[in-house]
Amino acid sequence: MSAEQAAAPRRHGGLLGHDALVRLTRAGVVLLLFAIWQVYGAFFADKDFVSPPSAVAVALFTHIFSDGAVMRAVGLTLVEVALAFTASMIVGVGLGVLIGWNTGARRMALPVVLLLYAIPQVVMLPLVILAFGIGPVAKIFFGFSHGVFPVIINVVAGMRNVNPLLLAGARSMGASRLEIARHVMFPHMVPSLFAGLRLAMTVTLIGVILAELYVSMAGIGYYTQVFAQTFDPAPLFALIAVLAAIAIVLNELVRLAERRVTRWRRVGM
Amino acid sequence: MTVAFDQARAPAATERPVAISVKGVTKRFGEGTGLGVMALSEVTLDIRRGEFVCLLGPSGCGKSTLLNIIGGLLPQTAGTVEVAGKKVAAPLPNDMAFVFQESTLFPWYTVTENFRVALKFQGVPHAEWEARTQEALAAVGMVQFAGHYPDQLSVGMRQRVNLARGIAMGTDIILMDEPFAALDEQTRMVLGEDLSSLLAKTGKTIVFVTHSLAEAVFLSDRIVVLTARPAAIKKIVRVEEPHPRSPDFMLEPRFSELRNELYELLRDEIRKTMAMQGGGAPGGGG
Amino acid sequence: MGATSGFAARSVQIAFVAIVIGVWWGVTKTHAVMPLFLPPVGLVARTIDQLFSTGEAWAAVRLTLLTIVEAYALAVVAGLLAGYFVTRSRFLTEVFEPLIANLFTIPIILFFPLFVLFFGIGPGSKIAYGALYGFFPVALNTIAGFSRVERRFLWAARSMGASPFGLFRHVLVPSALPVIVTGLRISFLICLASVLGGEELSAAAGIGKNIELAAELMDPARMYSWIVFVVLTTTVLNLVLSQIEGRVRER
Repeated sequence: MSAEQAAAPRRHGGLLGHDALVRLTRAGVVLLLFAIWQVYGAFFADKDFVSPPSAVAVALFTHIFSDGAVMRAVGLTLVEVALAFTASMIVGVGLGVLIGWNTGARRMALPVVLLLYAIPQVVMLPLVILAFGIGPVAKIFFGFSHGVFPVIINVVAGMRNVNPLLLAGARSMGASRLEIARHVMFPHMVPSLFAGLRLAMTVTLIGVILAELYVSMAGIGYYTQVFAQTFDPAPLFALIAVLAAIAIVLNELVRLAERRVTRWRRVGM
Repeated sequence: MTVAFDQARAPAATERPVAISVKGVTKRFGEGTGLGVMALSEVTLDIRRGEFVCLLGPSGCGKSTLLNIIGGLLPQTAGTVEVAGKKVAAPLPNDMAFVFQESTLFPWYTVTENFRVALKFQGVPHAEWEARTQEALAAVGMVQFAGHYPDQLSVGMRQRVNLARGIAMGTDIILMDEPFAALDEQTRMVLGEDLSSLLAKTGKTIVFVTHSLAEAVFLSDRIVVLTARPAAIKKIVRVEEPHPRSPDFMLEPRFSELRNELYELLRDEIRKTMAMQGGGAPGGGG
Repeated sequence: MGATSGFAARSVQIAFVAIVIGVWWGVTKTHAVMPLFLPPVGLVARTIDQLFSTGEAWAAVRLTLLTIVEAYALAVVAGLLAGYFVTRSRFLTEVFEPLIANLFTIPIILFFPLFVLFFGIGPGSKIAYGALYGFFPVALNTIAGFSRVERRFLWAARSMGASPFGLFRHVLVPSALPVIVTGLRISFLICLASVLGGEELSAAAGIGKNIELAAELMDPARMYSWIVFVVLTTTVLNLVLSQIEGRVRER
């Protein structure tokens, strides 16, 4: 991933550094894909189904940003994701620490967590809507129920396998149990926690958007239905683009936080 | 061995007060499981102040177990350990500092933070952290690396910092568990010299676990040769050479003689250990 | 994680399922929960039996299964090919691996409305959605698998005169396979969940559609029957797939 690549030694192959060349090529690939889409959408595609990026960009302003109701639906989704993710994080870390604290608790609880995690939660979606209604509560819950498992599992995993010499070292220096938890166990767990949080953000987004799309009477689900029926798909493309952009930004925020907190891990030679 | 028992030299060390007193220490792992493993049997040993003592034995014999019991990290099954007149039952961070292999610097803290957290664990007042950290860094010539994370340093530099952290604890006794095991031979020799001059300067008591014969001879005042598991003291070999020791010591004939004597003592024990491992003996302490 | 297998972990899981069923039986017996939200265990069991004995369920199961298999086949073929070709050069790997990994973090479900627009409410939209989602773990794990082949093995084989195919067959594949099979398993579970989810959102038939329909018609016994059926089958499938994966990995 990009983090490892950034740490990799620079190899000078010519005028550009190796990393810069890789990044430029990557940007080129993305631009090329957009260009193909533009040419295909503008000249070859059935206009009822595919809009070129230029038309999507226009629709962003004519149908999305200018429409207060659509923007409110997008904003509500963002709030739902934020709340669901926060809840996943708090509950996930809490339960993860409880489960990971001692071997007995882990042996009892982890198999259950893994069993639940393996269930395709999507089959419960109609049940969740039935139980919590078509409002934000159901969507937040569904995002949370997706996000909490990766956090728990990664916190439990992160609390294991602390180098026993580090623990012995801390004890020999007179560290109390609390100090060991704060200065040894917790920092050791953080990289794994963030791996969990990254995954949690991805699946929280999936959960919330699934529930949003399922409820077609309001919110984003409603607008995707409306836009799909107009024989001009540009607004639908635009709405999806806005949501995808939000997803990218949210994922990037988690990674930014991770990079700040786990700086010590990436400095190795 | 004429050199080892040359009483004419009358080493001052035997006159000094006892720093660590080990009496009849026995350790059995897996008590009550039916699969118990004897790691130590009836070890009795006095270590005097300012002495450099090596615990030498075949790998897995229980050298580290003995060191951990002395340091209060492991409870013994029988016997007593006394340090500075106190019975050891838990770590005594103000009397003894541990130095393990290089990996025991906390990788998530910078060099400076590693010193600070050690002093914090020890209970040193916050006001003293800065000065003591600077002093320790200066002593090992690592001031310019204060803000580095351990993974940014070479293995040798890391261990130098680790050693400095142990010294910064300011204790009279330092317990070292194969501190140079992860290093290449050249770095080992340099750090070994550093350690010898540290001893000469500060008069600290050092107990050092190793399985390197040359390292044991080069550094020690006394070498405690342990048997295969369960470890018992086979013989104590004396090395008469004042600290700080220079690399020239290694070129003297008596250095090789001592080394050969140690190998002679250890050979049977190593074979016994290998036979035990071949027989699938359950693992105890290292 | 080690705790997933082993007799103790399995016992805990079975005990947990037993407790869940017990609590379910208890709360419906005492009418602590409205039957709309949780119908009695017995009723659900009878409904499952009825669904399958009358043959009503089989059409839905057949359709959904076929959709999943088609989506999965596309995902696997595309993922393996993409993964293999990207790893032919270190440069391409560095260019494409982060790109694919980043795309995978975007909720692909966002594009489902487009697939419905393109392919209609038939299986096509579900196949496209499932295949796209399932593509990522296969491609990423194939890349990871082939990138971790150690150079010294390649050199050793080449020094012994191995042909390009021999190299592929005896060095590349064996060292990449353990990582690839993990991707294959994850991809299957993603395809399965995607198809079911797609059917719930927009479909004419299939298991997902049946769950959605039962919810809309306020028929909890039917809804729970399907949910229980899916949860049981996927749990068993997951177990089987993990076993296969374990076999391949430990070779």
